[in-house]
Amino acid sequence: MAAPSRPTERVAERALIALDAVCNRLYGWRGNPLYQSGTIVFALFLVLLATGLWLIFFYRVGAPYASVARLTANPWIGNWVRGFHRYASDAAVVAALVHAVRMYAQGRSWGPRALAWMTGVLMLIVVFICGWTGYVMVWDTFGELLAREGARMLDTLPVLSEPTARVFTGERPIPSVFFFLNLFAHVGLPLALFGGLWLHVSRVARSALLPPRPLLWSVIGLLFALSVVRPLAMAPEANPFRLADAVPADWFYAFWLPLSRSLAAGPALAGAVLTALALLLLPVATRRRGASAPPPSQVDESLCTGCRQCFADCPYEAITMRTRADGRADEVAHVTGDRCVSCGICAGSCAPMGVGPPGRTGRDQLERVREYLARAEPGAGTIVAVCCARGAARFGHLLAADGAALHPVDCAGNLHTSAIELLIRGGAGGVLVLACPPRDCWNREGPRWLMERIYHDREAELQPRVDRRRVRVAYANAGEPSAALAALREFAAQVAALGATTAEGAVELEAVCEPAPVAERS
Amino acid sequence: MNTLPRAAGAALAIVLTLALGWASDAPMPAFRPTDAVVRVSWGARPERIETCRTQSDEELAKLMPQMRQRVVCEGTTARYRLEVRHDGRLLASQEVRGGGLRHDRELYVFRELRVPPGPSSLDVRFVRLDSVPAEREDARERGPGADSASGGISPERVRRETEERRRRREEAVPASLALRSDVTLRPREVLLVTYDAEARRLVAVRRTP
Repeated sequence: MAAPSRPTERVAERALIALDAVCNRLYGWRGNPLYQSGTIVFALFLVLLATGLWLIFFYRVGAPYASVARLTANPWIGNWVRGFHRYASDAAVVAALVHAVRMYAQGRSWGPRALAWMTGVLMLIVVFICGWTGYVMVWDTFGELLAREGARMLDTLPVLSEPTARVFTGERPIPSVFFFLNLFAHVGLPLALFGGLWLHVSRVARSALLPPRPLLWSVIGLLFALSVVRPLAMAPEANPFRLADAVPADWFYAFWLPLSRSLAAGPALAGAVLTALALLLLPVATRRRGASAPPPSQVDESLCTGCRQCFADCPYEAITMRTRADGRADEVAHVTGDRCVSCGICAGSCAPMGVGPPGRTGRDQLERVREYLARAEPGAGTIVAVCCARGAARFGHLLAADGAALHPVDCAGNLHTSAIELLIRGGAGGVLVLACPPRDCWNREGPRWLMERIYHDREAELQPRVDRRRVRVAYANAGEPSAALAALREFAAQVAALGATTAEGAVELEAVCEPAPVAERS
Repeated sequence: MNTLPRAAGAALAIVLTLALGWASDAPMPAFRPTDAVVRVSWGARPERIETCRTQSDEELAKLMPQMRQRVVCEGTTARYRLEVRHDGRLLASQEVRGGGLRHDRELYVFRELRVPPGPSSLDVRFVRLDSVPAEREDARERGPGADSASGGISPERVRRETEERRRRREEAVPASLALRSDVTLRPREVLLVTYDAEARRLVAVRRTP
């Protein structure tokens, strides 16, 4: 897996873990907005479309400032809609940046995920351009400042013989066509975002576009309330013969303005272009090479029964089913290497344990469990804490100090249920799987599939013969040791009340697989 | 979930939302009161430096009818120098040429110069650098056959050609423009110096409330 390996990634990850822990405590993992930053952006995009469509009815390219001022003066159908539009666009920028930082910090910006990263950066650039056009449309002092700065940078390019800045000199009225083009771009570019979004999520299965409803309505409700309690005011109209002393600026879209205005136009434009290029090409810098590059999953075709479960479970649509070449009637799974992020989810989904990244298949997991049982010989009271390497394993020493035996795995979603069974039948009193919160899974769907395999008979399910009272799944991110310790203590008390188990010695486990319903994939 | 974390979470969400609202239109310093601006901006057609030749009837006959033109001119446009002085101090000095790769389009002047507010003298000069041949173009045009309607060119076409050449000549910016003015600029005021094409001179424009 692609663990953060660069100092900046590690710093960002530490900050993220701490913030996630705070938000989990305040809102619960289901309501943690940091986990939902991407879907929040899309929800706000829909808000912007709806409010923008309303506002466009009142905008006049022949009288931009007057039409916006008239709209702003109307508290019933104008001001709050405009405020809602503006605040939603600001929140979208914040959520998009959080989303980008999250992907970077978690080492999810390169390889098969590079397409998502690059389309995300492109969409963010488009969002900034939309914001720029939106503020210029108003043609107040802030819009004028943005327009002048944009023109100043554009004029450094040796493509236009007439400086675009001459539009704003005051020699003649600004032509309506300028505002028409602005409006056209402001309306047209967001439509292009749909194409970008399609590309952005094209490599993930079952992409979630909207946050859970409580969070969705909380975000929308807060922004709506803000637009009501903090109505927008009009800044003075742009005046080419008067320099403004200070302008009421939207810092989410104009944070760069003080810096660029302090520079000559050429360096300012070069800085903007280089920053955009650096962000776009970040996957080249963050790419793992050599030994640090996780290998893609492999299929042992002699074991594959063609049940399609790995095909259904893969979060990145990296597995396809093909006709077998060895004469057997069923299909065989095939891993597309350049789409596989080596998450290992398929290892947990394959009952015959025939697929997974090298060294992390179900059979490899069983081998490690056997080694552990032979080495540790856990007693009846021992709780084996199966910890996600990116979550609870980070504070495993605290769990060990509390009496748990540690068994780290790369991702709880990798965990094969046979490994749980083997631990129980090998003498452990109980198995506590400490997974990352579902919305925080670095492999998207690990905890979800784990829960279904243990409690809802999803292939490869935990066999009925395993006492479910001795198995528990709890969620804790790397910054929540107290939550994990509380879960451990509670589970240990429950297991203690169950009495002792008997180790079965050499345990043989069945490896069977039922075909997955095809509809699940469609 | 406990009530206390829930209340703290709600309070935090409200504070962050209010912070978002504040940052959405927080004041950004734009210009200092010690700034005023002299904006020098205009567009004009440069004078042409070219050699004109009257084509003979034989030459015209070889051309497609729509390509026939009695007088053909080849050359380029003149270069100019813009100089702006404020209280005798040189603020800007730049060479200005016509636009386009061949510099045969309109020339554009655009400079924004920060100056301190208050009374001052302003001196803007725009002077042609290249010398135009002493022989006037209209004189050349009146050369042998210049106004002839023979060679497959209609009299109307010849008249239009002549008119077009005259129009271009008259539209061209004068060889020398100058504006000397004593002005008192208020803090953050913009004084526009531009070219009045009808009066063929530089003018200063200010619109203060």
